[in-house]
Amino acid sequence: MLRRLWTLAVAPLRAHRGRPAALLALMVACTALALIEHTPLTLLQNAQFDRMQRLSPRDRSDMPALVVAIDEKSLAALGQWPWPRQTLARLIETIGAGEPLAIGLDMIFPEPDRLGAASLKHLYPQLDSIPLPDPDAALAAALAATPSVLGVAATHGLPPGSRPGFKTAPVITRGNPDTAPPASFAGALASLPALEAAARGQALLNAPADPALLDPERGILRRVPLMARVAGLPVASLGPEMLRVALNAPAVQADIHNGRITRVGVDEYTLPTQADGNLILHFGSFQPDRYLSAVDVLEGRIPPENFRQRFVLLGFDGTGLQDRVVTPLGEKVPGVDIHAQVLESLLSGAALTRPLWLRLAEGALLVSLGLGLIAAVPRLRPTLAVKLGLGSAILLLLIGYTAFHLGRLLFDSATLIALLNPIFFILIGNTLVEADQQRRLAEQALQASREAAARVAGELDAARRIQMGLLPDPTQGFAGETRFALAAHLEPAREVGGDYFDCFMLDPDHLCLAIGDVSGKGLPASLFMAMSKSVAGALLRQHPDNLAAAVAELDAALSRDNREMLFVTSFIAVVNVETGIMDYVCAGHDAPWLLRGQSVQRIPVAQTSGPPLCACEGFPYGHAQLTLEPGDRLLLTTDGVTEASNGHTWFGNDRLEKLLQEPLPAGTPAALVEKIRHAVRDFEAGAPPADDLTLLCLQWRGPETALPPPQTNAPA
Amino acid sequence: MELEAGIHPKANLVMVRGRIDHGSSMTFSELLHPHLEKCKKGNPPLILDFSGVEYVSSAGLRALMIATRFARNQGGRLGIAGFQPLVREVFGISRFDLVIPCFDTLEAAVGELA
Repeated sequence: MLRRLWTLAVAPLRAHRGRPAALLALMVACTALALIEHTPLTLLQNAQFDRMQRLSPRDRSDMPALVVAIDEKSLAALGQWPWPRQTLARLIETIGAGEPLAIGLDMIFPEPDRLGAASLKHLYPQLDSIPLPDPDAALAAALAATPSVLGVAATHGLPPGSRPGFKTAPVITRGNPDTAPPASFAGALASLPALEAAARGQALLNAPADPALLDPERGILRRVPLMARVAGLPVASLGPEMLRVALNAPAVQADIHNGRITRVGVDEYTLPTQADGNLILHFGSFQPDRYLSAVDVLEGRIPPENFRQRFVLLGFDGTGLQDRVVTPLGEKVPGVDIHAQVLESLLSGAALTRPLWLRLAEGALLVSLGLGLIAAVPRLRPTLAVKLGLGSAILLLLIGYTAFHLGRLLFDSATLIALLNPIFFILIGNTLVEADQQRRLAEQALQASREAAARVAGELDAARRIQMGLLPDPTQGFAGETRFALAAHLEPAREVGGDYFDCFMLDPDHLCLAIGDVSGKGLPASLFMAMSKSVAGALLRQHPDNLAAAVAELDAALSRDNREMLFVTSFIAVVNVETGIMDYVCAGHDAPWLLRGQSVQRIPVAQTSGPPLCACEGFPYGHAQLTLEPGDRLLLTTDGVTEASNGHTWFGNDRLEKLLQEPLPAGTPAALVEKIRHAVRDFEAGAPPADDLTLLCLQWRGPETALPPPQTNAPA
Repeated sequence: MELEAGIHPKANLVMVRGRIDHGSSMTFSELLHPHLEKCKKGNPPLILDFSGVEYVSSAGLRALMIATRFARNQGGRLGIAGFQPLVREVFGISRFDLVIPCFDTLEAAVGELA
């Protein structure tokens, strides 16, 4: 029951070679593409985009940004982190001496230094009266003396230490900022107000990796916010803010169109972003040569000129400090490297984009390729259809790689291929199923036709046996007869035919001979032949002494129910085997041959011959008479002899006459019949017989009393 | 085997060409039928010009016999004119010249039937 319901429900989908099901799959595919962020397809999409970046990472041969790293070597030399802020201040001043474009600090100082006056005096009250140096003031002085940018970490709530307000450079928006949807935060963890005030700028450090939920192996950092909204105000991230400080610009700019952030940057240095202000970073591989150890800088091992006209980032690169991210290139790099890469991208204008129009183009391609497959696959041979499917996939891959290489556009060919696959397989599957069904039906039909042919052949075989059984056997039927000898041969052109012959004694002295040829051949003629032969036999026996009357009645009897209008040519003779007197009637039949000694003649029929039986109802058939001489041979044939063909010409009467004139050593009727049969078949040379072939030969030897020696027509 | 309507002021003339044998006799009957339908009482006689006929088998003779009866039942007149020797021989031996009026020339046929 359930199975039947299922079949009923699925049948309309599978009709038309699965086109409705494929259309349904296309609709599902379009929905999935539109809502791709909520489907596991993003895994495939990201994997593909990562693969493209790995194949062609961004060139990082230019070195506009350096990283001064608080690395293991520095920690070993200067002690555990956090360092005293005087040390940091010295580091910043040392860097600043080289006149860098900007110094970005990938770190936050929300609390006062633990070696500051307040905390020391709290720990050691005896220090109360001693003036102590203020490390925070030293850091503030260093920040104020250099083009420094501090970091903040935006927070979703307001955890302890964070606050909604902090110093930030303005972000000027071109377009309506209220419609733009950048990532929104409630507050941020920022540095001490005194440090904030001293620094030239302050910017977001947030660069969250993609949620590991959708990427079970690891969280990969693909997108970096260039701006976000904190407590309602737009805030730039470290890269653009350092650029602003370097260019001494009043603000970072953001372009907003139709509620989507399109570009973020300073002056002519802008990068295209996603609608939410995120930059899809085109990663370059990790370059350890731009990492300088903080201790080397502090101890003067790095000439300050190295920092001239460069961006310098101050960050962590210590295994113990755990600030590492994984890039799409598969590298694990210090978090500060991301800011360096953003700066490099801003300066070179290199970014990956996935604009709205590209997503719309993907949708249009999905629909058109899907409809194309639905239209074409069921019409094509399966091999061609597979080629079409493969071709579509290759075309999409080519578009994807071309778009990446030429336009840094992220065209999602993998998802399109994945979405087109079910459509293709539904179509080709149903097409193959249908082809298989048709093949089976064809096999069944072939089997049925073979069975039918075998049945017909069997029936025809039976019909042939019956037809042959209707004919007398002249060699068996006249045992002990010395006055005459008979031989006959009948060979239908097909299984059954329309020729017949007959020979029987009407009384002890009268032999009746008949030959007939029904118009046409094959099965229809054979039915009429059987009837003609039987009716003729009966009527001739009924009128043993009046041949003409018998033939007239035969004509009437055969014509009576002959709607198919068949006719039969006949030659019927009654021979008095004592006297040799032969009475005969010819109904449209070819004149028989008379072989008398050396001579070959035709029985004269022209005067008395009538049309074939049934051809002209009521025709008054006349009869003629002829006296045989002892030794005479009478040969009755049908047109299977004269019209036998070798493809070019007919056997013909002339050839037959010549054959009959040839001497025949054993002049018996059987030998003559056999000779003619052979000659005809040799002449045809294997070609199928044109018509039924019938031969009937009588040799009259004379009355019983005066038995002559067996005659031959061998030359005397 | 093909048929072509000829033009004659006093007869419906049809030229027949090719062989009328077991294979083509059905076609011959079908092609002849429209002409036979016009062969009825009061219409000009239908004369088949057989000068282009190379061979007539018993199946062909049967088709002619059926045509003759059809015409006769409609009260029309049908004849054959112009024979190649071989075909004339077939008609002679089978005595179909007794079944269908046969003429050596078209003029003779028109003179007799029209």
